[in-house]
Amino acid sequence: MSRFLTPATVQEALKALAQPGAKVLAGGTDLMISLRQARMNGAELPELLVDVTRLPEITRMELDGPNCYLGAGLTFRFLDESLEARRRVPVLAQAASMVGSMQVRQTGTIGGNVANGSPAADGMSALVALDAVAEIASLEGVRHCPLSELITAPNQTTLAPGELILGYIITPPPEPEGQVFLKVGRRHEVAVSRLNMAACLDRELTDPRVVLGSCFPSPRRLVDVEALIKSGKPGPELWQAAGEQAASHFTDVCGWRSSATYKVPAITRITARALKRAWAQLEGRS
Amino acid sequence: MPLKFTLNGKEVCLEDVPGEATLLEVLRQRLGMLGAKEGCGVGECGACTVLLDGKAVDSCLTAAWQAAGRQVTTVEGLAQGETLHPIQQGFADTGAVQCGFCTPGMILTALDLVEQAPQPSEDQIRRAMSGNLCRCTGYHDVVRAVRRGAKYLRGEGEEQ
Repeated sequence: MSRFLTPATVQEALKALAQPGAKVLAGGTDLMISLRQARMNGAELPELLVDVTRLPEITRMELDGPNCYLGAGLTFRFLDESLEARRRVPVLAQAASMVGSMQVRQTGTIGGNVANGSPAADGMSALVALDAVAEIASLEGVRHCPLSELITAPNQTTLAPGELILGYIITPPPEPEGQVFLKVGRRHEVAVSRLNMAACLDRELTDPRVVLGSCFPSPRRLVDVEALIKSGKPGPELWQAAGEQAASHFTDVCGWRSSATYKVPAITRITARALKRAWAQLEGRS
Repeated sequence: MPLKFTLNGKEVCLEDVPGEATLLEVLRQRLGMLGAKEGCGVGECGACTVLLDGKAVDSCLTAAWQAAGRQVTTVEGLAQGETLHPIQQGFADTGAVQCGFCTPGMILTALDLVEQAPQPSEDQIRRAMSGNLCRCTGYHDVVRAVRRGAKYLRGEGEEQ
């Protein structure tokens, strides 16, 4: 049997999390499933569940000015419905709108999405495109870690016991109009991504960001594809070449697995499509 | 410490609720609220949907303690005596119910939707209801039911 604690402040939460066997509970959409599994198998349960969803500090959202910040407790439903998020970080708002069902979006948070470390996490791909750096607290203090370094393997992170993600310092791309998130799943709604793509362009192609998720241990920026875009001339040929480069990036990293027959053309097209849309949005508003 | 929350407008107080208990278990096993169903148990089917502070959540994925101090609404809390809630009436009038297992969850999700969008489009309805699975009738009638229920709720239509 687990004990349950609902701390009112971050300090109180960190104290609780420092106890052996303590576990962070946020939206619960992943953790409650693993607890269910553990109970069915008679496996050990966490000593203490620390519900962080009532900490006001972790639902802060700051999208104007030089220091943009997203609290780890922000839910997908909030981000989907927030006009400010839609305007300033549409890639994240779009990703949020495609996570699970309305019920899952209501409770699922961008903190839990990252801490759970699923390679298919939609929120994670969008956050990587926003160059998110996690702000992680423990009783020892606060450390900062880029998301690309936080996830080490599927469902494994560098988060130590006692640590809590407070939020993310983000650097949104210069032009929010050029942001697109796409995913491929077994059905349109309530589907785990087989592939996802967060793509951001600006009119000068100075800071393109192309993130492919659900293909690697964790979503990653395709720096070679970004370099190709920077040196190219915007248009269908460039988007297609970028798509092909993305697919070869995938096979270079993962080898030619059985799923590659499907994934290679799918990666090529999802990349080209995301870039085409991002550019069309930029042109539509210029 | 006892767990306290408001269930369908009435205060409830429960002793000895383990931390890992789901809201669904507590509703069904401790409080006799059998409207919320366990379908998949992993947040895919929506049969366990309840409203937490007015918003649809999967009660199988919600720790019971997360409801502390909050308002929980189950399908049992919707009708006023013999008068069905307009959304319930919409489901009844369109025949969008076969075995009924998914219906309480469907109705509560629909209620959350129409609070946000009193006149939802078909797209909005389909998208909002996508986390509620039905294995009997398909979704065509469910869409009609939500639209009809929303209409009743706006005070239009004869069935009020």
